[in-house]
Amino acid sequence: MFFLSRGHGGHRQLHSQGLNMAATAAGKKVFEVFVSKVPWTVATKEVKEYFRQFGQVKKCLLPFDKETGFHRGFCWIGFTTEEGLQNALQKDPHIIEGARLQVQKNRKPFSGRKSNKEAEDN
Amino acid sequence: MAALLRSARLLKCSPALLLQVTGNTRHAPAAGRLYSGAVGTPHVGLCVQQRGLVKDEPSVAVRSKQAQQFDWALAKLDSSVRRTGRVTKTLLLHIFHDICRTGYPSGNQALLMLRSCGSLLPEVPLVERIELSQRIWDKLQELGATYDVSHYNALLKTYLQNEFRFSPTDFLAKMEAANVQPNRVTYQRLIAAYCEVGDIEGASTILGFMKSKDLPITEAVFNSLATGHARARDMDSAEGILSVMKGAGIEPGPDTYLSLLNVYAEKGDFAKMKQTLEMVENADIHLMDRDLMQVVFSLTKAGHQQYVPEIVERMHHERGYVPDAMNLCLSLITHGHEETAFSVLKSFTGLLVQSQTSDSPDLGNFFLRHCVNMDKSVENIVRFCKDLKDSGLHSSPLQFTLQCSLEAKKTGMAVELMRRMKEEGVPLRPHYFWPLFTHYQKEKNISGTLQALRAMQELGVASDMDTFSIYILPSFPSVDSARTSLKEAGIDVDANILIAAELRAEASRGNLAGLFSLKPLLKSPLHLLLQITELLCKDPRFNSTEPETSENVAYFLYNLIDSMNETEVHSKEEQLREYFGLLKNMNISISLNIFRGIRNILESYQVPELVKEIACFHVVKYGGCWSVTSHHSKPVVSICVSMCVVELCLSHQKLERALELKILYEADMTPAAYAMLINLCCRHDNAEEALKLKMELARKDSEVALDAQKYVALVRVLSKHGKLEEAIDMLKEMKEKDVQLRDGTISLLTLTMNTAAMKGDANSIRRLQEAIFTLGLAKPSSNLCSPLITCYLESGNYAGAFDATVEVHKQYNQMPKIHDLICGLVEKGDAELLQNVVEFLSQERGEMMMLYDLYFAFLQTGRYKEARKIIETPGLRARPTRLQWFAEKCIAAQQMEPLENMVDMTVKLFECDRDDMYHCLLRLCKETNDWQKAEATWMKMQEENLAPRERTLRLLADILKNNDKEVPFEVPEAYDMLKEAGSTGMVLGPAPYDTLIKALLAKGNIEDAMAVKNIATDHVPEFSLSDNANSLLIVSQVKRCQMKDALGTLKGMLQADQVPSQLAITRLVQGLASEGNTQDIQEVEALVKTLGSIKLSSMLFVNNAALAHIKNEDIDSAVELLQSFYIQNTDNQKSSISFVFRKVLDANNDAALDKLSAMVERLCNHFASYRAATDLFLMYLDTGRTEEAKFLLQVLCCILLPVQAAKIKALSELIPDFTEKENIYSHLVKCCGLDKDFSSAKALYERMQAEGVKADELTLKRLALLYKEAGEPVPFEEPPESFSFYADKLKKQRSESMEPADC
Repeated sequence: MFFLSRGHGGHRQLHSQGLNMAATAAGKKVFEVFVSKVPWTVATKEVKEYFRQFGQVKKCLLPFDKETGFHRGFCWIGFTTEEGLQNALQKDPHIIEGARLQVQKNRKPFSGRKSNKEAEDN
Repeated sequence: MAALLRSARLLKCSPALLLQVTGNTRHAPAAGRLYSGAVGTPHVGLCVQQRGLVKDEPSVAVRSKQAQQFDWALAKLDSSVRRTGRVTKTLLLHIFHDICRTGYPSGNQALLMLRSCGSLLPEVPLVERIELSQRIWDKLQELGATYDVSHYNALLKTYLQNEFRFSPTDFLAKMEAANVQPNRVTYQRLIAAYCEVGDIEGASTILGFMKSKDLPITEAVFNSLATGHARARDMDSAEGILSVMKGAGIEPGPDTYLSLLNVYAEKGDFAKMKQTLEMVENADIHLMDRDLMQVVFSLTKAGHQQYVPEIVERMHHERGYVPDAMNLCLSLITHGHEETAFSVLKSFTGLLVQSQTSDSPDLGNFFLRHCVNMDKSVENIVRFCKDLKDSGLHSSPLQFTLQCSLEAKKTGMAVELMRRMKEEGVPLRPHYFWPLFTHYQKEKNISGTLQALRAMQELGVASDMDTFSIYILPSFPSVDSARTSLKEAGIDVDANILIAAELRAEASRGNLAGLFSLKPLLKSPLHLLLQITELLCKDPRFNSTEPETSENVAYFLYNLIDSMNETEVHSKEEQLREYFGLLKNMNISISLNIFRGIRNILESYQVPELVKEIACFHVVKYGGCWSVTSHHSKPVVSICVSMCVVELCLSHQKLERALELKILYEADMTPAAYAMLINLCCRHDNAEEALKLKMELARKDSEVALDAQKYVALVRVLSKHGKLEEAIDMLKEMKEKDVQLRDGTISLLTLTMNTAAMKGDANSIRRLQEAIFTLGLAKPSSNLCSPLITCYLESGNYAGAFDATVEVHKQYNQMPKIHDLICGLVEKGDAELLQNVVEFLSQERGEMMMLYDLYFAFLQTGRYKEARKIIETPGLRARPTRLQWFAEKCIAAQQMEPLENMVDMTVKLFECDRDDMYHCLLRLCKETNDWQKAEATWMKMQEENLAPRERTLRLLADILKNNDKEVPFEVPEAYDMLKEAGSTGMVLGPAPYDTLIKALLAKGNIEDAMAVKNIATDHVPEFSLSDNANSLLIVSQVKRCQMKDALGTLKGMLQADQVPSQLAITRLVQGLASEGNTQDIQEVEALVKTLGSIKLSSMLFVNNAALAHIKNEDIDSAVELLQSFYIQNTDNQKSSISFVFRKVLDANNDAALDKLSAMVERLCNHFASYRAATDLFLMYLDTGRTEEAKFLLQVLCCILLPVQAAKIKALSELIPDFTEKENIYSHLVKCCGLDKDFSSAKALYERMQAEGVKADELTLKRLALLYKEAGEPVPFEEPPESFSFYADKLKKQRSESMEPADC
C-alpha cells in the first residue's frame, strides 16, 4: 500500500486503521499462482491434480473460451496455505504431459476479480 | 583492373572468407535471390517495407483514408511475406473485406490485392486462387477502382502463376474494350501464356506485334520460348534457344537455365538435368535454392519424384531457405504430393527452429496442420505422425493434429484421430470434444451435437457436467427436448449429471443478480473517514511543504476509491458524496495526475455525480506559479553603448566602427559587447584583433565565458592563421568554463579542421582532434574525424589516407571517408592497397559492410560489371540504410547512371524494398524533370510485378503532368472522391470530411471547402466544422479580406461553444486593424474575453486598436490609447508595443512616428515609464535606423533600459510549468553573472529563498562573486573551493543521476 509505506511512527491509531484498510484491500490476496503455457490437452482436473503435490488446492481457474471450446492456456491456482504457494514457486521446471508450465506468483487479480465472487470468498 | 576484379571474384568464389564471419553454418549463407513468393513461379515479392526509412512527404498532403489503408494492408501482407514467404488466405480475405467495407479502393490497393493471389498462396489450391483473383478483380472494379495496364499485367501474372488456361486474344480484346493499351510487359506475359501450352505459333504472333512496335525482346521472352518449344515436344528448338539468344546478343541468365531444367524435369530426363546443372556451374551462374525447389516441384508434378532427393541435396541452404522449403512442402501437399513433401520436410528438419511455446520437440507442425486442412487421409497423417514421433522430431504429433482438426471443425477426422490415439494408449478427455460442440451449438445443429456425443460414448469418454451444462444443453431449445433427443438417439446419460447441469445453468443465471458484501472500510462511519483525512491534511508530519507528503491525502483518496468495486461505489454513493463535500470545505488540493486517476475510476463506474464532486477539488496543475519580479535598476549608459556596438556588429558588420566605439567607451564595455566584437573580428578573419580582444576580456574578467559558437569561431580563425597553440588554449578554456557544444557548433569544428585539410596541414588536424576528444568537448564522430582523411585524399596520398583511416579507427573508433578512399583507389587501379583496405574493412566492420563499401565504389566509378558481381555475392542481404545513403548521394549529385544501375542490380537482393528503390529513382527523375526515364521506370515496376506505394505513384504522376504527358493510371484526389461519394450516396463519418475541409482551407480554397461542407451536411445532418477547421476558415477569410464573414464565423464558433485558435483571432484582429475597424476590434475583444482559456498576446487588442486608429489617420486617439495604457497600470511595463512601431516604420508613416516619439519622451520624462522608449529604440536598431536610435538615445540620455529584466522575464514566461526550478535559477544566476547584473542576481537569490529552492554550490559561488563585486556582504557562506571544482562536481552529479534513467 502506497500510503502505508509512508506512515510515520507515533500514530498508532492511524497506523492500525491503515493496516485494517490494507488488509481489506489486500483481502483478495489468497495464495495464488498464475500458470501459463498450459497445453490444450489438459483441463482443470489434470491441472488441479498436478498442483496438489505442493499443497491443498483451494481453487483452480482455467478459463475456457466459449467461442472456440479451447481453454486460453493460462490458469490461476489458489492454495489454502502460503506453504503450498511457496512449494509451487520453488519447483522448477513444472512439467505436465511433457509440456513446461510457467508458474509465477499472481501479481494482480485478473479482471472481473473485484466482483462478487471474490467478496464471497472473504 | 584485372587485379581489382580478382579481388572481387575472390570474395565471390571463396565462401570460406564469408564463413569466417558468419561462422556457424557449414554452408555459406547464400543470398535469397528472391526473398518471397512460394514455389510455383519465380520472381514474386512484395516490396519490402522499411518503415523507419520511409520519410513522410514534406508537404502536408491530404492523407486520405486510402493511403493509410494501403500502408496498413501493405505492412500486413509484407510482414507475412517477410516472415514466411507466403500470405494466408485468411489474411488476404480479411484485407479484401476491409477494403470493400471502407469503399473506394484505390488503384494501388487493387494492384496489391491482385499481386497476392498467385504463388504467394501455396496453401490454396489453384482453382481457388483463380476464383479469388477473379472475385477481387470484379468486386474492386464494381467499387470503382480504375484499372490501368499495370492491373492487367498483374492479372496476367496471376493467370501464369496459377496455371490458368485462357485465351490471350480474348485478353487483348478485353483490354482494348477497356481502352487500355498493352505494353511490353503485357506482351511478354502473353507469350509466356502461349508457351505454357506449347503454342509456338501463338507466341510468334505476339512476338510479331512486339517487333512491329519496336519493343525490345528481353531475356524473359527467350526463356518462355524455351519452355514453349519443349512443351510442343520440340526439344531441339528448346535447346537451340541458348544459341539464338547469344546470336541476339543476350546472355542467357539463371532463369534461362532454369527454364531448361524444368523442361527436362517434366520429361524425367535426369541425365540432361545433370548436364545442364554442370553447364550452369561452368558459366559461373548461381542457381538459387528457390530455383532448385522449382525443379523439385516440376519433377514431382510430372511423377518423377525419385530424382527429388538428388536435387534436394544440391541445395545450399541459403538465407531464407527454411521458409522457402516450408512453402515447397505446402505447395506439394496442396497439389496432392504429401509423400514427396514429407521427404522434403525430413531433409531440413535440422534447420527448423523449435517453437517458443514448448520445450519438447514439435517440428513439422505446419506440415501436419496443412495436411488436416487439405483433408489428407487419416491413414497417411497417422503415418507421418508416427514417423515424426519415432525420429524424435515431435513429442505429441497426434495431439497436435487433433487440435488442428478440432480447430478446423473436422469432426470425422477428429474422431478418427482420437480412435487412433486411444489405440496408442493416449488418454482422451471430455474437453477434446468441446470445440466440436461449440461449433454445433453456434449452428444450433442438434444432429451434429448428437453425432459428436455418440462418438464420445463410443470412444468411452464420459461426458461430465461441464460438457452438458455449457456445451450440449444450450444447443437444445429446452432441457426437456434435450432429454428426449438424447433418448431417441439412444445415448445414455446419467440422469443425475443432467439434472446437476440444469441446476447449474439456472444458478448461474440467478447469480447475475449477485449479492456482495461490503468492505469493512465502508462500514466505518463517515466521521472516521473524515478524521483520517483531516489528520493527513493537518498534521505537519503528513503535510509538510514537500510535495511527496502533501500528496498523502490525495493518495489516500485514490486508494480508497480504488479499493471499492463498482457496486460498492454505487451503494455508497450518497455517503461518498457527503464525504467529498466535506473534503471540499477542508480546502484540499490534489495533483492533476491523482485527480485524473480518481476521475477515471469513478467514470468507469458511471457515477457522474461523484465525478462532478471530485472535479470541484482544488486541482494543482504545476508546483506553483513562478515569475521573477522585474526590478528597476539605475539607467546604465554602458548598456546603450554595448547595444550600439552589438548593433554595429550585427547588422552592418562594420568592424572598424565598432572597434572605434569600443575604444571610446572601453570602460563601459560589457562582456556581451566584447563577445560580439570578438565574433565580428572572427568573421572578418582578423585573428590578431580577435585574440587581443579575448585577452582583454580575460583581463577584465577571467570568469567570463563566450558562448560555444563564438569560441569555435575563434578557434577557427586562430587555427586558420597558424595560431594553433592559441586555438588549442581556447578549446581548453571551453572545457574549463564548461561550455556546452551543440551540433551546429560541432560542425563548425569540422569546418575548422577541413580548412586545415585543404592546406594539407595534417599535423594541425591531429592536434585539434586530439584536444577536442581528450577534453571531451565532443564525442568522436565520423564528421569530426573526416578532415584528417580528406587532408591526405586531397593531395592524392592514398597510402597516407589509409594509414590515417586505420589510425582514426584505432583511436576513435570511427571510419570516415571510406567511400572516397575506395573510389580513389578503384579509379587509380591500386589493387594492392585496395586489397589492404578491403581486408581491414572486413576485419573491422564485417564482410557485409565491406562488400557494400566496395559495391558503392564500383557503382560510383562506373564499374557496373564488378558492382554486379559484388551485389550477387551469396549471403548478401539488403541494408536499407546503406542503400538509402547511396541513393541520397546520387540524388543530391544528380547522378542518374549509378543510381539506375543500383536499382537494377538489387532486384534480387534479399529483403530489398523495391518501392523504396524506385521511389529514389523517381525522385531523381523529378529533380532532372526526366519524364522519359520516369516512364521507363514505371514499365520496370510492372515487369517486377510491384505494387508501389501511393507516394511513388504520386511522384510519377507529378513528373508526367509537369511535362504535359498523360498519366496512364489513376491518382485519386481526395476531393474528387468525396464529390463522387456524394453523388453515389456513399455515407462517410464526419472525420474524413473535416480533414478534407481543413486541407482545402490550408490551401486557401474556401469555395471547395464550403462545397465539401455542403456535401457533408447533406449526409451527416449534424455535421459542423471542427474547431480547427473553423479557425482555418477564419484565417482564409481574413486573407481574402472578407472581414465580415470572418467575424461571422468567429461568432458562430463561440455560439457553438467552440474555441477558436490563437492564430485565427490574431489574424482577425490584425485584419480589422488594417481596415481601421476599431469598433469590431473592441467587439472581438469582448467576445474573446468570455473564452478565458485562450492564450493571446496581451497586447493584441491594444496594438491593433492603435493601428486601426492610425489607419484612420486618427493618430491622437492611438497615442491616447497607448499612453493611458502605460500610465494606468505599472504592470503594463512588461507589455511591448514594438508591433505598432514596426508597422509605422514599415509604412514610413512619419506623421504617426513623430507623434509616437513625442509620446515616448513624455512617458519617460513625466511618468517614468520606459518600456515604450525601449521598444522604439530596439525597433530602430532592428530596422537599421541607427541614426534615429542614436538620436533617441541622446534625447533620452538617461533612460532606463531594463534589458536584463526583460530577458529574464521572457525566459520565465517561456517556461512557466518547468519543474526543475533549481536548474533555471542556476542558469539565470549564471546569466546575471555574465552580465554583471548584481541587482537581478540579488532579486533572484531572494526569490529562490522564498520559494525554498536550494542553490547548488556553483550558483552560490557565482552569487558570492556578484555580491563581492558590488561591495555588498555575502548573505551566505561562500563555498570554499574554486569554480571549476564545483562545475566538475555538478557535472558528475548530473551524469550519475542520469545513468539509472538511461538503463
